[in-house]
Amino acid sequence: MTDAGSALAEDRSEEPAEPERKGKREIWIFYWLFGVFYTALSVGVCLLGRATPPPRPDVTELQAVAWFDKHQMGIQVGFVFLLVIAGGAAISNGIIGYFMKRMSSGKMLAYAYIAAMGVGAIPGFQVLLVCWLTATFRPDRDPDVMYLLYDLGMLSYNGSLGCFTAAYIVVAIAILYDKNRIFPKWFAYVTIWQVVTEVLASQMWLHHSGAFAWNGMITLYIALVVFGLWIVCFLALFRKAAAAETARTPALYELEGTR
Amino acid sequence: MTAPGRDLPATAQSSPPVRERSLPGGVDMWVMVLGDLFFFGCYFVTYMVFRALSVEEFSASQRHLNVGIGVTNTVVLLTSSLFAALAVIAVREGALRNARRLLLATGACGVLFTLLKVYEWHSEISRGHTIHDEFFGFYYVFTGVHLVHLALGLLILGIAVRELHDSRGRRPAIVEQSVLFWHMIDLLWVVIFALLYLMR
Repeated sequence: MTDAGSALAEDRSEEPAEPERKGKREIWIFYWLFGVFYTALSVGVCLLGRATPPPRPDVTELQAVAWFDKHQMGIQVGFVFLLVIAGGAAISNGIIGYFMKRMSSGKMLAYAYIAAMGVGAIPGFQVLLVCWLTATFRPDRDPDVMYLLYDLGMLSYNGSLGCFTAAYIVVAIAILYDKNRIFPKWFAYVTIWQVVTEVLASQMWLHHSGAFAWNGMITLYIALVVFGLWIVCFLALFRKAAAAETARTPALYELEGTR
Repeated sequence: MTAPGRDLPATAQSSPPVRERSLPGGVDMWVMVLGDLFFFGCYFVTYMVFRALSVEEFSASQRHLNVGIGVTNTVVLLTSSLFAALAVIAVREGALRNARRLLLATGACGVLFTLLKVYEWHSEISRGHTIHDEFFGFYYVFTGVHLVHLALGLLILGIAVRELHDSRGRRPAIVEQSVLFWHMIDLLWVVIFALLYLMR
């Protein structure tokens, strides 16, 4: 070892032990919260609420009323549960924003992502819950109104694309411009597929059946595969990024007195 | 610390330097290309299934497409791919000015393709062939998504051309990436052309 090297080792041995930051533990907590929220979301939307796979878009008003009657209990239990835990979406968006703020591409993109996803959650999530809960808790209403709630819920849930498209574009740009390699570049390209499937899904407003209806192979099922792949990739990369954070990783924010 | 190579064994000194093997275009872009091909493959299979369910209707609508424009667009894109491949060879040989010209020629072909496609869309829509016809629904979606990819390809080519002005040593890698993406656009178009214009 050189003299300079031994001197450096001595300096290090004399350094006081750095206090452990809580950041890493918080990241792991958010990692598990993210996984739990998306699992709960899948159970609520798919198994109980029956929004995915969706009901047929080419039904009459009486068929729509009969469908609500058949799935009343599942929709009520599943969607009330989702209304209670809806704040989990903010946690999920926040943790992605946290990692985006670690990127060299700038904080503005992180804020843009959080804002776009926050706005998108209203038509893409809350409106579906409110429409279908209204239909199942007020089953005595006019069939035409029930029919409207049926359509409004599904079209809002699957057809509200602008905010999500903007959010995914922002993530892709942030990753491609990032020099800190928080996420690998290929994840930006996976995110671009999300953008493409979101744009394609806009067709569902115009079609009542076929590959481009809201239950279509292209607008829904292939898009679902892409979304599932995106979530799986993100969880794996999230885990890796969380493991890379050590006690020496600087916090994003520190109290004024501790600087 | 030792000077580089001073204490290496004689065998290591005499052997030629080992060239690091790397995937042309980089792993990240290959993920994009292979994934894109997979998802477009899913779209094509979906089209084939729907076509098999209504062969006569699809064939009747298909006859309204202008095969001449389709062939011209295919030739334009294949030519662009030739320019792109020559650009990679040029940049590997260090002929940066030539590489830049070839990439610009590739981009010009992409712009020409876009103009022809916009003209074709305008022509079809003005004759009443809209997405209310199932075949034309697939036609507009496939060619539209392809056009989005082409626009992204033009952007990536632009980044590569800008990189050729730079001296940071990333030239072969960034040009390979852009050309790899461009070849994918070309390949996708060849399949779309065969499916929509030729298959009866």
